[in-house]
Amino acid sequence: MTTAPSPARRRDIGGWVLTLLSAMAAILWFFPVYWAIVTSLRADDQTVTDFSLIPLNPTFGNFLYEFENSKLPIWYLNSTIVSVSITVVVVFMAACTGYAISQLKFPGRQVLWWTIMASFMVPVSALIVNHFIIIAGVGLLNSYMGIILPMLLSPVTVIVYKQFFDGLPREFREAAVMDGAGEFQLLFRVFLPMNWGVTTALAIITFITAWNAFLWPFLAAQDEKMMTVTVGITAVQDAFGVRYGRQLAGAVLAGLPVAVAYLLFQRRVTQAITLSAGIKG
Amino acid sequence: MSQVDLSGITKTFGAVEVIRGLDLQVADGSFCALLGPSGCGKSTLLRMIAGLETVTAGHIRIGDREVTQVEPAKRGVAMVFQNYALYPHLTVAQNICFSLSLAGVSRAQQKEHGDKVAKVLQLEALMDRRPAELSGGQRQRVAIGRALVRDPEVFLFDEPLSNLDALLRVQMRLELAKLHNDLKTTMIYVTHDQVEAMTLADKIVVLDKGKISQMGSPLDLYNAPANRFVASFIGSPAMNFLPAKLRWSAGTLQASFPNGASLAIPAPATPAFDGERAGEVGVRPEHMGLSDTGPIRGVALVVERLGNTSYIYLDSPVGPLICEADQAVGIQPGTSVGVTIDPAHCHIFGTDGAAWPVRA
Amino acid sequence: MLKNRRTEITVAFILVAPFVLIYAWMFIYPTVQMVRLSFTNSPLIGAGKFVGFKNYIRMFADPTFRRSVWNTAYFVLLTVVPGTVVALAIALMVSRLRGFAQSLILSAFFLPYVLPVTVVYLIWDWLTNVQFGMLQGVLTFFAGHPVNLWRTIPLFMPGVAVITIWWTNGFSILLFLAGLRNIPQELYEAAALDGATRWQMLTRITLPLLWPVTTLCLTIQLILQLKIFDQVYLFAMGGRTQATMVMVQYIYEQAFQKNAGGYSATLAVALFVVVVVFSALQYQILRIRGVR
Repeated sequence: MTTAPSPARRRDIGGWVLTLLSAMAAILWFFPVYWAIVTSLRADDQTVTDFSLIPLNPTFGNFLYEFENSKLPIWYLNSTIVSVSITVVVVFMAACTGYAISQLKFPGRQVLWWTIMASFMVPVSALIVNHFIIIAGVGLLNSYMGIILPMLLSPVTVIVYKQFFDGLPREFREAAVMDGAGEFQLLFRVFLPMNWGVTTALAIITFITAWNAFLWPFLAAQDEKMMTVTVGITAVQDAFGVRYGRQLAGAVLAGLPVAVAYLLFQRRVTQAITLSAGIKG
Repeated sequence: MSQVDLSGITKTFGAVEVIRGLDLQVADGSFCALLGPSGCGKSTLLRMIAGLETVTAGHIRIGDREVTQVEPAKRGVAMVFQNYALYPHLTVAQNICFSLSLAGVSRAQQKEHGDKVAKVLQLEALMDRRPAELSGGQRQRVAIGRALVRDPEVFLFDEPLSNLDALLRVQMRLELAKLHNDLKTTMIYVTHDQVEAMTLADKIVVLDKGKISQMGSPLDLYNAPANRFVASFIGSPAMNFLPAKLRWSAGTLQASFPNGASLAIPAPATPAFDGERAGEVGVRPEHMGLSDTGPIRGVALVVERLGNTSYIYLDSPVGPLICEADQAVGIQPGTSVGVTIDPAHCHIFGTDGAAWPVRA
Repeated sequence: MLKNRRTEITVAFILVAPFVLIYAWMFIYPTVQMVRLSFTNSPLIGAGKFVGFKNYIRMFADPTFRRSVWNTAYFVLLTVVPGTVVALAIALMVSRLRGFAQSLILSAFFLPYVLPVTVVYLIWDWLTNVQFGMLQGVLTFFAGHPVNLWRTIPLFMPGVAVITIWWTNGFSILLFLAGLRNIPQELYEAAALDGATRWQMLTRITLPLLWPVTTLCLTIQLILQLKIFDQVYLFAMGGRTQATMVMVQYIYEQAFQKNAGGYSATLAVALFVVVVVFSALQYQILRIRGVR
């Protein structure tokens, strides 16, 4: 007579099955990305004939083509300049503003804080037309400034910093004040350095958001030479029909920096997302 | 010179008045302890001296300067915080020299000052560590070092030993006492622990609900408490309070206890009041003794044997009592015991809590 | 603390000045301008005449507007609840793993979230390509013939919805993982001692305790998807965009293709109001849940 497996072991089998299912689900989920990469590594004429799961003769031909013959390198430069500028300015401004709201008393403080909290609920996409009108009005279309300016709006970053500064124990501020620190020294030599993690997390998420932006850069830079890579890869089509290999090579290149940023700084990205969701909840 | 003068200090938080009309002088170079239970206002007072709290009314002078409206950093005071508040991202050396670095002092000079302070506090080996890597006692010393390097006129301590374990507390107490002896700088020390106050201070200021209950040297407060609050706060185990009816009679004060017993306490010839008054007789445990013929009999509840002495907690018709007895005494809980009171060491308190002077 | 009031205010103003400037220029001013424009018949650039509520009346009678609202609502229905369910399922799976395995599998699910929308578009355009797409195998099996997903109107929105779920799920998964981590292990241990099965633990402990996070997730997704534009625009490129028009898209079309600045502002105000109303609702619901 066989006895039924003990509950502990029965759960284990169930557990193993679930783990296997998880792995399979993850593979399926990742497949589209994988397939795109594989296709981009195939020789251009073989993309529509060869559908093996692992490329038989992987080649960087498509990538080289994109680099040499398309505006991709320029787009990369544009994306880099725009994203880095936005990251630096947004994080710096948010740290200063969050600090002031958190630590200082000044007329209009409450009003400012309430409008920032309120603006959080507002869809920026409703404002794209007006942004266009303003930027066009000052002649900044098709320029870096024109792309950057509306994207500097980031109430979330201010709110995260303000809550972070609120959470620091009062004693640190008092000790620094007794040591003779002024407000700027307090912000830049005590508060921010005490937790570079928050700043790093916010910087990375801001960079990723800026790099991935589509609608506004699309509107603001119709000139091919000023496009960001995110916009460029779909805005421009090859003259002789679509070359899937090359197109996907462009996609891979466009997505590479943010994917790498995520893989290198997973913890920070996760932290940034939970911080910003924490505000809404 | 760095004496501290507080006159007419009043502090309100919103509608709540925490301190009113407080006057205090701390002599130059002395060690003054602000002692009291939680909420008595001692920390608030310290923070006002530091400049971390505003003064609602009154004046603060340090040395010969009026500093009531002066920013904390410019008052010539340095503070050691209860939780040390060491900058976690800086090394010990950087923590100590932070105030110098903020003032723009050169690296070389910072190092010079930092090393000097480190030598005094025996921190040389730890200069490159981060606070997270230090023990409680070490962090304490770094916090002191950070204050020391500023060469202040007045040192302020906000319950600095309360986060340390018992053994470390004793050690650090000694170091603080030594530090004061070496530096001879004015020190103001906030604590709720009367042992710390008794052992470290030249003068103790006992605060009760924002008012000075009594101030004086430790022994003055111990031997001649001006009111019941001070009498019960100072000394451990606490003083016994026996409710009694008091009557002057020919050079003695007759105290009659609820159990019928009475005690004749030596007193000045001039009566302080007429007739009979209700009050309390205060006796410290060490001024009580075990005696089968004693005026008060009770039942022993708990016996604490500490090695050098023992304390018997007993329940009696006049209330719970603590009596100190020789360690050789073999009393078991539940036994009936009698206690005597040394009349020469009694304290008399009226129903309002104030002490009547019974010694000439 | 004793502070010099004047210095404090000066420093504060210096610190907030850059932000306030950008905020005023890029947020307050455009919002005011948008509302003002909505009452005029201006072209995209340039002045126009004040026409009162004419634009708004026109909007409510406009069939394309109605269609865009319906499409947006349809899209929201297709993505918000299914997406949250999927994210919950994935989070439950991933939370059981540990260490490197968890890290690896989580990355697989999360990576799409950090990719730009155009990259997502190109990846899936290739996968669903009517001639060479890997998914054609599946589609042809069900339909009997190759399916041009993006030109088949009834399949368009569901297709975009599936891809959007694939793309944005990472965010919700993270929220659920954090919520799961907040459930004390002791509850499960006590339940095990009480003889609860795995399923019972899920339905009686996990799901109820996850309800606040679930609500948060649903509402965040709802507000996010109301503003849908990029994916719909990209996948509809070159085809009939009218049938699958969404609200933001209509704003875009009216402004940039029909040069109707005033009317597009009216549409923008409509979107604005819808989103703000839902955001405020979300805030209230979450506050009430928090109190509970």
